[in-house]
Amino acid sequence: MTVSLVEPSLDEAVFDDTVFFIAQEVFSAMIDPSDGALSLGSGSPVFSDVTFAWVDMLSTPRRRVMLSTERVTAFSVARALLAAGPDDNVSEADFEDAVGEIANVVGGNVKALVSDPGPLTIPKVSSVPPLDGVLLRQMHLLWHDRSLLISFWSYDESSGC
Amino acid sequence: MKALVIDDSRVMRKIVSSALAPLGFEVVEASDGKEALDILASGVEVDLCCIDWNMPVMTGYEFVVEVRKNSYWRDITLMMVTTEGQHSQIVKALAAGAHEYLIKPFTPDAVKSKLQLLGLFVEEV
Repeated sequence: MTVSLVEPSLDEAVFDDTVFFIAQEVFSAMIDPSDGALSLGSGSPVFSDVTFAWVDMLSTPRRRVMLSTERVTAFSVARALLAAGPDDNVSEADFEDAVGEIANVVGGNVKALVSDPGPLTIPKVSSVPPLDGVLLRQMHLLWHDRSLLISFWSYDESSGC
Repeated sequence: MKALVIDDSRVMRKIVSSALAPLGFEVVEASDGKEALDILASGVEVDLCCIDWNMPVMTGYEFVVEVRKNSYWRDITLMMVTTEGQHSQIVKALAAGAHEYLIKPFTPDAVKSKLQLLGLFVEEV
């Protein structure tokens, strides 16, 4: 894939366009090559049983890219990434590995757009969100009418997020 | 041809391996740079290493540096396969001795193209 290496600001339009492009690339290359599989949603989705997957940039302040979605959707995404057949079992470890890797790929590409991002952490996956930071931007995506949220955060190292 | 796929994500190792197998590569896997070094040190001979950057224990960059210290491994082609798309990171990896750089996400065709560039795969006409 090709991502512009230009940084610097979090210009909202540039960020939104770029993140959507990155998400489309991730989905078309790794998860679902069908045309138009991923689209923009409106508003903020409301989740009930959520899976969070995130990577942090060890910059000052810290930055975080997080993927949030219903656990059932996350499982579907993981199954697609693993090319699992209908009868194939996907273990919890593979599920977390797959969803974490998606966050890692999205986060790594977002990192290329940010000035002084620092190293990227190993992805984390949890049903519990990390402690609050400052939400900078978020993007609501639809994959076959199922919501996914990509959010970009900032937090102070001392906050222990 | 034999390839060593180094990534802490089992899913990603599977994806990279699936892209290499149809191109005629036998694949060995390692989950971090240290494990990969141990495999090479055990005498397993590989033509290509596909290397993630961010891994626990030993990063892909550290692995490249270690491999390039050993002249016995000078013929191994090193290709970073990573999300680290920053220009400075690419330059750093290439300067350390990596031959190519593939940014995730990628398609199997992108892997094939890189291997063609590296002379490790020739498409039969």
